[in-house]
Amino acid sequence: MSDEKPYRKLETQALLQQIAFRHGMEAMAASEEGNLAWVSSGFPVEIPVAMNVFPSYPEQAGAIIGATKIGPEVCGFAEDLGYSQELWSYARASIGSTDRPDDVAMGALPKPQALLGCNNICGTILKWYDANSEQTGAPVFLLDTPPLEDEQKPHHRAYVKQGLMRLIDFLTKTFNTTLEEDRFREVSDLSSRAIKLWTQSLKACQNKPSPLNCADRFLTMAPVVSSRGMEHCTEFYEVLLMEVKDRVKQGVGAIREEKIRLLWDNIPPWFILKFFNKLASRGVVFPADTYTHAWSGAVEGTDTSSLLDGIVDIYSNVYLNKNLDAKIDKMVQLIKDFDLDGFVMFSVRSCKRYSLGQLVSKEIVTERTGVPGVVIEGDMVDSRLFNEAQIQTRVDALLEMFV
Amino acid sequence: MSFPEVIEQSNQVLQALVDAGERVLGYIYPHPPHEIFIAHGLKPSLVRTNPTVVGAYEASLQTFSCSLTRNLFSQRTSSSFPLLAGIVFSGNTCDALQNVGDVWRKRFPEDKVLRLTYPVGDAGESSIDFLAMEIKSLSDDLETLYGVPFSESAFKQAAQLLHEIRDVLQLLYSVRLLYPPLISYHTLSNLVGEYLTAPTEDVSERLKGRWMEVAEKLDTNQTNKVDQLRESLLNKDLSGFDSTIESTSLRIAVIGGMIEPSTFSGLVDDIHGITDSTLVFDMLSFGFKTVFTPPVNIDGDPYKESARSILGAHSEPTQEGLPKRVEFLKDVIARLSIQGLIVCEQSFCDPDEFESPSLEKAAEEVGVPTVKLPLDSELSDRARIEGRIQTFLETIDAN
Repeated sequence: MSDEKPYRKLETQALLQQIAFRHGMEAMAASEEGNLAWVSSGFPVEIPVAMNVFPSYPEQAGAIIGATKIGPEVCGFAEDLGYSQELWSYARASIGSTDRPDDVAMGALPKPQALLGCNNICGTILKWYDANSEQTGAPVFLLDTPPLEDEQKPHHRAYVKQGLMRLIDFLTKTFNTTLEEDRFREVSDLSSRAIKLWTQSLKACQNKPSPLNCADRFLTMAPVVSSRGMEHCTEFYEVLLMEVKDRVKQGVGAIREEKIRLLWDNIPPWFILKFFNKLASRGVVFPADTYTHAWSGAVEGTDTSSLLDGIVDIYSNVYLNKNLDAKIDKMVQLIKDFDLDGFVMFSVRSCKRYSLGQLVSKEIVTERTGVPGVVIEGDMVDSRLFNEAQIQTRVDALLEMFV
Repeated sequence: MSFPEVIEQSNQVLQALVDAGERVLGYIYPHPPHEIFIAHGLKPSLVRTNPTVVGAYEASLQTFSCSLTRNLFSQRTSSSFPLLAGIVFSGNTCDALQNVGDVWRKRFPEDKVLRLTYPVGDAGESSIDFLAMEIKSLSDDLETLYGVPFSESAFKQAAQLLHEIRDVLQLLYSVRLLYPPLISYHTLSNLVGEYLTAPTEDVSERLKGRWMEVAEKLDTNQTNKVDQLRESLLNKDLSGFDSTIESTSLRIAVIGGMIEPSTFSGLVDDIHGITDSTLVFDMLSFGFKTVFTPPVNIDGDPYKESARSILGAHSEPTQEGLPKRVEFLKDVIARLSIQGLIVCEQSFCDPDEFESPSLEKAAEEVGVPTVKLPLDSELSDRARIEGRIQTFLETIDAN
C-alpha cells in the first residue's frame, strides 16, 4: 500500500504563514498606534485601508479558532456571558476570545479602535459587533446594504452611497485621517488586481483534473479577505496563479485520481478540513464552491465619486446579499461551467443567511441540472454541532449514485 | 383569555372581515405601513403563531430557523393559515425572515407574497428616504396585485384612525405604569391584540370606551401625569418625567422580541405570586414598541411620512441603536420604579438572543434582578417557563 497522500499540497501555501504572521504583527502595531479596526469580510475595506486604518477580521479569527479545534471552548466563554449556543459560532468565538484573550492560544485579536460591519453577508453582523463594542468600547459603524430582491434600484444605490459618505466622515473623525483620491485609486487598483488574479485561479479549476480542491481554496482565500488593497496580497495571488497554471499545463490535479467532481455550498467546517482529504482518497474533488466565489468583481473608477459608485455596485451585489433565485442561478452556473457531477450543501446551524433555503434550492438545482445533491448539517467552528458519522453516511449515499 | 383563545378570536375576526368582503393583508414584522395598506382597500392584520400547530415545516426549513418562521410555515403547510389576500415579509430585519420569504414563494407559488425592505441603519433622512421608496414600491405592487390604486382620502382617514387607536393605547400603557389597579395588564394586552388583528373603527370605538371608563377614575393631577408620561415614552426620553411612583406591590416589566403581550399575559395569568398589579409594563415589539409609533403627518408626502412614522417608533433589536435602547431601559427601570425584569428570548431568534445579555447587564447595573426566558412560539416548555417566573418573583419578594 502506498504512503502517498491522495492530495497534493500547494507550494504557495507556505507563503500563507508569512502573510498571516505579518498581518498579525501589523495589526498589533496598528492597535498600539490607535489605528486598528475590526472589519467584517464583506466590508469595502478599500476605504479604511486608503485612510491608513488597518483592518483585522474577526471572521478569519473565528476560522482560525475553528481550525485549531478550540471552537467549543472559546464559544463556551461567550455562552458563560449569556450568549445562546444557538448563535453564530464566529460571533461566539469572537465574543469569547475578546472576553478571555489570554485563554485563547490563536485567534484573539488586538484591541480595536473601531468596528466596521457591513450587513451584505448577513443581518447578524450588527448584533455581533454591538456585543464586541460593549466589550472593547470601540464604536460600531454599520454600512447598511439592504438585500436585493432583483436588480439594484437607484434609491438603493443612493442609500448605500450615502452610507459610504458617512463612513468616510466616521473614519475621518475617529482616526483623524483623510481620504486622498490618489491613494484611494491606488488601493482600489491593488484590490481589483488581487481579486482578478484570485478569480483566474478559481476559473482554472474548470480544467480536468482540477488544480485546486476545496481545502486549497479555503486556505488561500485568506489574503483576499484580510489584505485586499495591499501590495503583498497581489503578490501572493501572482505566485498562486503561477502554480495553478503550472499544474494545469502539466495536467496535475489537486488530488491524485480525480473521479467525481462536486460543488460545495457554504462555509467549510474549519475544524475538520481533512473531510475533503478523506474524500480525495475516494477520487472526489471539489473544483468549485459558492463560498470562495463570493470574491469577484473589481472596484473601478477614475475619481473618488466613481470609485465609490464601483464600491456600491460590488459590495451590494455579493452572493449572500441576493435572493434565493440568484443563489440557485449561481449554483447551476457553477455546475455547468465546472462540469460537476453533483453537489454537497453544508447546512451551517449558526449561519441562517447562508443556510436557510438550502432544502428548497437543492431540489431546484437538481431539477435544472440533472445532478444529485445532498444536504449535511453541522457548524463551521463549533464541533459540538457536527456529527461526523451521520454526515459520512449522507455523503456515502450521494457517492453511491456515481458508482 | 388563553393564547389559543386569542388565536381563535383573531381568526373569527378575520373570518368576519373576509365574509364581509374585505381583503386582509397579513404582515409579520411589527412595523408595517398600516395606513398605506388601508389606502389600497386592504385590512392589515398581524400574522400570528398558532401553538396548536407544530412540525409541518421540515421539508422546507431546517430546525434552526426561528420558532416564529417554523410555526408560520407549519400553519401554511397544514392549511390552518388564516384567510389572507397576501402576506408581507420584511426584508433586512433578520436573516430568518429574509430567507423564509424566499422559501415561501417557492413552496407556495399561488400565494401573494410581498416584501418591504427596511433600513437597518440609523441614518436620519437617508434612512427615511430609502424606506419611503420601498413603501412606494410596495404600494405600486399592491395596486398591481389587487387593482386598487392608492387613495389619498382613504390614507388620511386611515392615518386618523391609527392615530386614535395608538393614542388611546399609549394612554392606557401610561395608566398601567402609574396606576396599575385601573387597568389590568390582561385587559391592556387584549386591547393591543385587537389592534394587531385589525385596526378598524370598531376597535377604535371600543378603545375609546375603555379609555373613558379609566379616565373617569383619574383626577386632574393624575391625568396630567398620565399625559406627561405618555409624551415622555413617545419621545423616548424620560428625563422630563419627574413624578415619583409609589407602590407597595411588586412592579415587574417584560422585554424582548417577537412575543405578543396577550401571549405573555396568558402565560403569567395563572402563576402563583403574580397579582393584578405585578406586571406593569412590556417593552415588547408587538406591544409597547408598536403602540408608541408617532402619528403619520398627513400634510406631507404619504410614503415619506409613513416612513418617518415607522422609523420614529422605538427601535427594534434588528436595527442600529443598542446603546440607546440600553440607556432607555435603564431610565425606565430607574424612573418608573421597576423592581424586576423578565427578558424573553425567542428560540433561534438572532436579534433576541444577541440582545438579551446586554439587557440583563443593563438591568443589573441599575440594581434590578432579571430572569431570562428562552421561549418558542408554541410555548412548548410552558411548565418550566412558569416555574422560572414564579421562582424569580419569589426571589425578589424574599429580598
